[in-house]
Amino acid sequence: MAIPAPDTVGVPSGAGAPASGAPASGRAVVRDLLRRPGAAIAVGVLGLIGAMALAAPLLAGLTGWDQYSFDPSAIDSYSGGLPRGGWGGISGDHWFGVEPGNGRDMFMRIAYGARVSLAIAISATVLTTTVGVVLGTLAGYFGGWVDTGLSRAMDFLMAFPALIFMIALLSALPGGNRPVLLVLVLSVFGWPYTARVVRGQALSLRNQEFVEAARASGASRWAIVFREVLPNLRGTIVVLATLAVPSYVATEAGLSFLGVGVTPPTPSWGQMIASAATWYAVDPLFLVIPGAFLFATVVAFTVIGDHLKSILDEGAVH
Amino acid sequence: MSSRRFGLVVAVVGVSLVLAGCKGGDDGDGGAGAGAGAEQGGTVHVLLAEDFSHLDPAQGWDSGVSNLYRLLYRTLTATGPGGTDTADDIVPDLATDLGTPSDGGKTWTFTLKDDVAFEDGTPITSADIKFGVERSLDPRIAIGSPYAKTTLELPEDYAGYYESGPLDSIETPDEKTIVFHLDHPEPEFASVVSQAPFTPFPHEQADTITRSSVDTAPVASGPYRVESYDRGSSLVLTRNEHWSDASDDIRTAQPDEFDFTIGLDPATIDERLLAGQGDDANAIGDQIQPATLGRLNAPDIKSRVVSGMTGCTGFVQLDTSKDGMDDVRVRQAINYAVDRTSMQTAAGGPQMAETTTTILPPSLPGYQEFDLYPGPDVAKAKELLAEAGYADGFEFTLDVAAAPSSSAQAEAFQESLKKAGITVHLNSIDAATYYEVVGAPAKQDDAVLASWCPDWLSGSTFIPPLFEGSQIFDQGNSNRSMLDDPEINSEIQRIKSMTDVDAALAAWGDLDRLVMEKAPIVPTLNGNSVHVAGANVAQAFSNPSLNGNIDYAVVGLHDPDRG
Repeated sequence: MAIPAPDTVGVPSGAGAPASGAPASGRAVVRDLLRRPGAAIAVGVLGLIGAMALAAPLLAGLTGWDQYSFDPSAIDSYSGGLPRGGWGGISGDHWFGVEPGNGRDMFMRIAYGARVSLAIAISATVLTTTVGVVLGTLAGYFGGWVDTGLSRAMDFLMAFPALIFMIALLSALPGGNRPVLLVLVLSVFGWPYTARVVRGQALSLRNQEFVEAARASGASRWAIVFREVLPNLRGTIVVLATLAVPSYVATEAGLSFLGVGVTPPTPSWGQMIASAATWYAVDPLFLVIPGAFLFATVVAFTVIGDHLKSILDEGAVH
Repeated sequence: MSSRRFGLVVAVVGVSLVLAGCKGGDDGDGGAGAGAGAEQGGTVHVLLAEDFSHLDPAQGWDSGVSNLYRLLYRTLTATGPGGTDTADDIVPDLATDLGTPSDGGKTWTFTLKDDVAFEDGTPITSADIKFGVERSLDPRIAIGSPYAKTTLELPEDYAGYYESGPLDSIETPDEKTIVFHLDHPEPEFASVVSQAPFTPFPHEQADTITRSSVDTAPVASGPYRVESYDRGSSLVLTRNEHWSDASDDIRTAQPDEFDFTIGLDPATIDERLLAGQGDDANAIGDQIQPATLGRLNAPDIKSRVVSGMTGCTGFVQLDTSKDGMDDVRVRQAINYAVDRTSMQTAAGGPQMAETTTTILPPSLPGYQEFDLYPGPDVAKAKELLAEAGYADGFEFTLDVAAAPSSSAQAEAFQESLKKAGITVHLNSIDAATYYEVVGAPAKQDDAVLASWCPDWLSGSTFIPPLFEGSQIFDQGNSNRSMLDDPEINSEIQRIKSMTDVDAALAAWGDLDRLVMEKAPIVPTLNGNSVHVAGANVAQAFSNPSLNGNIDYAVVGLHDPDRG
């Protein structure tokens, strides 16, 4: 299994001002994005997965199954709990088949698993982006001892063997609220990657003419940071955040695969892939389905992030 | 072989029993492939996921390592050979018979066979057995089978050979005779001396055989010696030239070599055994995974399947000292609510486990079949909970080893109790340290998913460790129900002091029912074992006394030159 380290998150290459002149308007960027076929497909895929996650309780009403209930009639206990019928037990009752050994509905587990995956990844992204942007901007704009202190802290966290530490930490921590713990642990090691890039951008922005102008007209330092510098980092932040989401989705799946993610019976894609490893020879779909959803989610986010980056790098929206 | 150390496998309903061509297990039949005669020579390969716990017999105490000890060591008595009528009996090994009791069962005398020797050719004498026992009583290594400690008459604070010197309670009037003086009458002492701490070591080399040396450089008394050992990856055994076939009625020792490959993924082991290519035609391995069951019906594989019973009981121990759990009605409600069939399916279905409602497994003499809490009966469970004051539901935390089959069973348990309004929180604990954690009462939660296997076929190795009040320990505790009930304690003492062995065996069966009335435990499954042997493997028999594992003592190859 591959657990992309957080530093595989791409960053926009333009280290100077993100866009000459006024930042591109959000609506124009979206329009430009949807005009690119690859990005449009990715947005569509994410939309479907997102809708499935949001509507999971409704879908449960529709299919008649929830993510926990066992269906002994769908599996053959004499062959070790293999789903009855071919294709992993796919039927009108169970749209994606059932889990071997207990007959839980795969479709519902995928849908609720998407909730878990996306909720954790998006929360971690919001948290790391907020912390990263605030601290990165402060370090970049103020410089001096603020910069030194924050930069050393970032260096320390980035040099840390994060994955090993996450596994150790999560195995040592008792029960508690697993999803919240996961978000916190992912965020502690994730924010420096945003902060470092933002710091670099802020550093170059602080000597730009419009900042000088604001300073000359008597604006306070805080006003300059939040009114002048931050808005100009908007593009960078959007790209960073978009690319952070898939890395957190994958890391969460990896941790669940290793048995330190969300606790059973809460469904999670990583956990499903882990338990499918022994079944792949007799029930390949049990591995393929969660694998495909994980793959689609990570690829879709990455494609969107890449396209956003190239649109913003080009500087001007067509 | 209490599950204490190897328990994970059992908790998982993992140890296996095999039947092809064997009498082991109830349904053994003379299967063709795995059963027929073996030729002398060749190398048997063994594919394992986990390494053996200890080569030192004072320290290892689980079904996996006990099987290995049969190749390396001999004791006064031992479990009979797999595939024969005596497979679940204790038979003489180094001793000429099962011992002579005197003084009302407080003194036992054994006579050694002639022509028995260590791997260096030194004859095995009674003094060597005495030294082995004294060595094993050193508290720093005495983490294995505890029966030497609990039966022999020991001076207070006896700390083993190296600290406290020789024991007065073991006498060696001559080289062939050994006399044990016990703390109390023990009618089952012939079984006690089959335990690994009674393994002999050369007493004349007492200065080179230290506390720690045996674990890395054992001195073999059995038919094989350690040729090389790379902890966690491989173990190679070759013949002990000084072992004599004539002196040994148990081991056939046909192969020239045993080659253990350790640290393989369970799914990999299954694939290799099913494919059986190259050396794997000469291979046996761990119990197969539930996922592989569906593939065993192919004709060329079916004949290579070896199955039987583990003789172990899987259960959920309910901590009677915790709030809520101290109410017998709550514990009974849990017993009513549990859906054993869904746990069975989670463990791999009827081929891998049978449901059970009793503590003792059916393989034990004195076993009685009964079901005090027929279910799943959700209405009855809810009624009992309401009486106990939990009409709005009850919540508790279950400790479970983070291994696939344990987790699957725990989830099935959780799901079945949910119907009765009982919320179960699962606390997954790393499988490697699971029994260490739940063996410490301070760390265990309200309930523990575990299992137990008898050390020999008697309720005396089953009920006291699980339910006797005096057996609650701060470390390595197995009475995880924390049960200290005067009625049960006194009944255990009464049965232990019975001199009529058969009456005692039956009395354990009655006690099973008495314990279940107090419901400190939810018996769930009796594990079966299913193994696949390579096409060239002969005499692969599931031994019920080794938790259904393929008995290394008799396994061999059809054609030693193949592979």
